[in-house]
Amino acid sequence: MATRLLGVGAAAPAFRLPASEVAAAWGRGGGRGQAGVCAPDEDPLTLGWDAATRALDAAGVDPADIDGLWWGTTRPPFAEGPSHAVLATALGLSPHAGGALHAGSPHAGMEALVGAADAVSAGAARLALVVVSDALRPGLGTTAEARTGAGAAALVLGAEGGTAAFGARVTRSRPFLDRYRGDGETETRDLYDGRLFREEVFLPVVTEVAGALASFDVRSWSLPDPDGRLGAVVAKVVGASGNTASSVYNAIGDTGAAGALLGALSALDAPGLVAIVGTGGGRTTGITIDVETPIPGAAIVGDALGNGVTVSYMDVLRARGQLVPTGETIPMGVPPESAMFVRGAHEILQLLGGRCVDCGTISTPPSIHPTCIACGGPKLEPVSLARNGTVHTYVVNHTMPAPFVAPLPIAVIDLDDGARVMLQVIGDGADVEIGRRVTLVLRRYSYERGVPVYGYKARTVRTPEEVA
Amino acid sequence: MSWNKVAVVGAGLIKMGELFDQSYEQMAAGAFDAAVASVDKGFEPTQVEAAFVATQRGTLWGQEGIGGNTVPVAIGLNGIPCTRIENACPSGSDAVRVGAMAVASGVHDVVLVIGVEKMRDKSTEEGLLSRAAAGHPIFTRGETAPVLFAPFATRHMHEFGTTREMLAAVAVKNHHNGVLDPYAHFRKEITIEDVLASPPVCHPLHLLDCCPQTDGAAAVLLVSAERAAEFTDKPVFVAGFGVATDHPYLHEKESFTEIKATRLAARRAYDMAGIGPDQIDSAEVHDCFTITEILDIEDLGFVAKGEGGRATLDGETALDGRLPVNTSGGLLAKGHPIGATGVAQITECWWQLRGEAGDRQVDMRNGFALQHNAGGRGSGVSVVNILTNRN
Repeated sequence: MATRLLGVGAAAPAFRLPASEVAAAWGRGGGRGQAGVCAPDEDPLTLGWDAATRALDAAGVDPADIDGLWWGTTRPPFAEGPSHAVLATALGLSPHAGGALHAGSPHAGMEALVGAADAVSAGAARLALVVVSDALRPGLGTTAEARTGAGAAALVLGAEGGTAAFGARVTRSRPFLDRYRGDGETETRDLYDGRLFREEVFLPVVTEVAGALASFDVRSWSLPDPDGRLGAVVAKVVGASGNTASSVYNAIGDTGAAGALLGALSALDAPGLVAIVGTGGGRTTGITIDVETPIPGAAIVGDALGNGVTVSYMDVLRARGQLVPTGETIPMGVPPESAMFVRGAHEILQLLGGRCVDCGTISTPPSIHPTCIACGGPKLEPVSLARNGTVHTYVVNHTMPAPFVAPLPIAVIDLDDGARVMLQVIGDGADVEIGRRVTLVLRRYSYERGVPVYGYKARTVRTPEEVA
Repeated sequence: MSWNKVAVVGAGLIKMGELFDQSYEQMAAGAFDAAVASVDKGFEPTQVEAAFVATQRGTLWGQEGIGGNTVPVAIGLNGIPCTRIENACPSGSDAVRVGAMAVASGVHDVVLVIGVEKMRDKSTEEGLLSRAAAGHPIFTRGETAPVLFAPFATRHMHEFGTTREMLAAVAVKNHHNGVLDPYAHFRKEITIEDVLASPPVCHPLHLLDCCPQTDGAAAVLLVSAERAAEFTDKPVFVAGFGVATDHPYLHEKESFTEIKATRLAARRAYDMAGIGPDQIDSAEVHDCFTITEILDIEDLGFVAKGEGGRATLDGETALDGRLPVNTSGGLLAKGHPIGATGVAQITECWWQLRGEAGDRQVDMRNGFALQHNAGGRGSGVSVVNILTNRN
């Protein structure tokens, strides 16, 4: 049974780092292009949430109907911990949803895709969600640093429906070290010898896999492009007219485990055979997708990658945790391992409230509201809060201790279902005003002792007039 | 309701400020000594039957949030009953209310109410700004103290056209009053331009819209009215009090143009005193930020809703205005040592009602002074006390 593709989504981080900034910092001239970098409240989990939310929306699939989440990333936010469960819960998947977390190398993205496709074709899942996301943290001063990026792609797979089918698959293993992290290391090491990698490892293996797919009538190729050049070399060898992954590399740099699928999304907007090759950690896998009509979500991939705020190298180092203040930072008041998070996990990650059966008012979060905030009524029924709303009032906080970064806008928001929340707003507050429309998105609220804590933030929405 | 009348026969405080050279215990002793010394006919410390200590975060060693209930030991009253009152920013106000109830009930005849707070034994980062990381990991993340009031300023400006100049007028007035108050932390005139040009702390509030971090202590002596003559011929009486609660988290608030708990507490206090806001001659209100005083004077009924900013700019609440507010300099100039704040405000009311406020003295034609604090995360509690010199 062929696995079908129902919808896709993409996400890019908030920051863009010009390569010239990095070159200048290390006393080198030049530096072409840029890289996408996570803001302090973003990571592979939040990028994956963004992309998955868009893919589910494009596919018209209710998250509760997804049978499993297959997630590939080299950087699970918990080195050992509930990464998969947190993402699945925040996406609103059923607690019975299965799937797997693939990590260990940039090849994890292809592993997640193959795992999901196999589960669907085997009948183990009717609907599967694939998330590939990464936010690499390069060694400082390495040549790879300037183009080390971040990004995410998501695909909704199903046993039926959709407008594309998965086809051929090729895989090869060959044990070698390219870019890697040793046990306990936090930063990815660059290649030991670029020429050795290119001539003896990358080109032979990748062209072998791509070449096996070239026997089909491939219209578009997404080929591995770890440095912005090798992809074009492979394309030439297999006779491809171009490499769709190159445009992603140009926009946000090397996106690790997300690269192969993120590079292919734009090609899914037109009929024809799309070939995707991903590599890393000594493994290379290629697949084909036969697109019948444009895949929902593929047309707006470019929009997702196009936005971004140009920042300085210092901003990036601080956001990546590579520039830290001396002394102790103020710890979060509630330890993330404590009972409050056991009680509050679902209401935080799924934005739950309680609607009063007497007066209809929504109180949130439920764990601190045994009665209605308006009438005191004792009967509250659980509801998911609306994800869009309007700023009722706001502040921009300029005075906070480390690890906070000012300015920090905080807004009281009237959600479209009548509930009221107070949340941080993404950005510096310049676009926040009373009456401003916002949408709620998952972000990393804090990160300490190596533990991330996730919750929702408001993102301002531009009106059509403002966009024009 | 039947209760015994309560008199204030002594009140005093120490000079407020960054008192790095004084311990929590030394501040408490200083305030107690000042209150004892203020009693016209003399007062023996051994006459204190019970103490109520207002402390929001204090302790005998630092700011760990416990302690305070053994303050009598530190000030030479070892062994007497003592209760610590922690009711957020109104801790001092509420200790006065609870102390008054202890006398009104007939359980005690002579009660000490003392407020003490060490705000500066810890760095600003640890002592105050660490709030940004406390509380709920999402819903209160980044919520330093100004975040609890600045949203009201944003909304008040939006709905009523209140301007930053009007906010600044509160700070200018209170700093002027502070110049006249020898106990004030800051004794320096400022201008509206100074406030507008001060660095942003939490938009739309700037540095001079905010009260300082101040160490301090204050004490009052409450006795049953029938024994007041033993201590003074110029007693001041507790005319009424009111307390009210409201939602602590800002997203639960119905309105960002009023402090609901203050409105409710004021109504209770006025009802108990049998007067209305038009009979108040002077008021010490909670001006932790400039916007707070604007909300206060509206919610206490001194001006119509939305008129607080304009009335302040027009001088209605100045020393020579229609209803002088925060004659002591308020929290903005005198300081806000949390547990001590309300007790210090009562001291100012006591002086005004006895005609002893010096250059700050205002005309007490009706004989009523009002004292008010609000706090508790997003003003989850508010306390109003009304004093009178009428028998």
